[in-house]
Amino acid sequence: MAEMKKNEAASPAILEICGLQKSFGELNVLKDISLDVEPGNVVSIIGPSGSGKSTLLRCATFLETANGGDILYDGQYAVKQGVYATKAELAKFRMRFGLVFQNFNLFPHYSVMKNITEAPLLHGREKTEVQEHAMSLLKKMGLEGKENAYPCQLSGGQQQRVAIARALALKPEILFFDEPTSALDPELTGEVLKVIRQLAEEKMTMVVVTHEMPFARAVSNRVIFMDGGVIVEQGHPEEVFGNPQQERTKQFLRNYQR
Amino acid sequence: MSLMTMIMKMSEGLGKTCAIFFLTVLFSLPLGMIVALLRMSKNKIVSAVTRFFITVLRGTPLMLQLLAVTYGPYYLFGAGVARNKLIPVVIAFSINYAAYFAEIYRGGIESIPVGQYEAATVLGYTKFQTFMRIILPQVVKRIMPSVTNEIVTLVKDTSMAFTVSYQEMFTIGKQIANSQTSFMPFLVAGVFYYIFNLIVDRVMGRIEKRLDYYK
Repeated sequence: MAEMKKNEAASPAILEICGLQKSFGELNVLKDISLDVEPGNVVSIIGPSGSGKSTLLRCATFLETANGGDILYDGQYAVKQGVYATKAELAKFRMRFGLVFQNFNLFPHYSVMKNITEAPLLHGREKTEVQEHAMSLLKKMGLEGKENAYPCQLSGGQQQRVAIARALALKPEILFFDEPTSALDPELTGEVLKVIRQLAEEKMTMVVVTHEMPFARAVSNRVIFMDGGVIVEQGHPEEVFGNPQQERTKQFLRNYQR
Repeated sequence: MSLMTMIMKMSEGLGKTCAIFFLTVLFSLPLGMIVALLRMSKNKIVSAVTRFFITVLRGTPLMLQLLAVTYGPYYLFGAGVARNKLIPVVIAFSINYAAYFAEIYRGGIESIPVGQYEAATVLGYTKFQTFMRIILPQVVKRIMPSVTNEIVTLVKDTSMAFTVSYQEMFTIGKQIANSQTSFMPFLVAGVFYYIFNLIVDRVMGRIEKRLDYYK
């Protein structure tokens, strides 16, 4: 399964999704979704609730099983026409991406340090290197001195930053964010967005599902507007936000600004 | 018979009471986990059969189960009754308590948010690693109060061994009560169980406190 996609062997995209379909029973949540994410790019996915944004991320990270279409990482098929690679191959694909959840999903019984270091250690990385990397990530997240704290002792914003550090500790090629600030007080949203912005400046490849329009406009290289399980419109943030072509996009952005 | 003699005689059975108690705890706690996992199996037949056994074990008196395990082999196959009754008694207790623990474990496992599994999966934990490292420790903390409850009940339930004349503390007490036409041995037994459970309470309290380092 892990063969290179023919003709496009030189394709620079880290993630390619082609004709992705997903339905829950009768309900078609994703209808023929296609998108590419190039290295160093930040792609924001916006759209109303129930438009399929989160399902798209969950399919890309194998948390949901798609019913059809292709998913390729670095030109290698993880899913080809709805058929998944073997378990062992999928496990390798998982090492290519990280996912930050809306509800953080930190492990409450682990200290901040152990939350970050256990996965890389389980993957056989060297202990001192893993710990040093974790410390530098914590520093980057503005969480110095919190390594021995437990998640319950941290604010939501701090927890989400630990979750970002935890995802980065595995050195993913691409990082997915599923509404990373939706569970946070408005006050705490800023500190998480700041960290994501910083990662964008460092050319981390990211796909961010978000309702933070000013953030999406400022940070992304590309904005995708989804509704009803399809990509209605996509393009440079200034185009999508400044001069939307589709009536549905205009309507959504109008309602949002109100 | 003086009160002191009574206490001395009944104390002789305390070792056997403790044997039932500790061996049952030792076997039923892990057995309960196996039963819980079978109960939650995706295989519908496995899960249904396990569920049936749990309803039988929880829905019939422990006393009957003791009798069945101890004398069943004799009535069914003409096999001899075990000379050391500790074995059938511990088997009956362990199976019975495993059924209760299984349901406690299941409740605990099902109460862990699905996000914990998802986070572990995305981070590349195997299913086994996820269960042992992420899920189980959180389950243990959540179920401690219910487990303590069961263990306190077990202390008192050991007295049920009198039905198969296993010479533990309560059985001896009952024999003295009969021969002396005295209620005193039951009071003594009550005090013994109470003290036993005070200790159990202390120990379990400590364990709970140890798990209190996170919410």
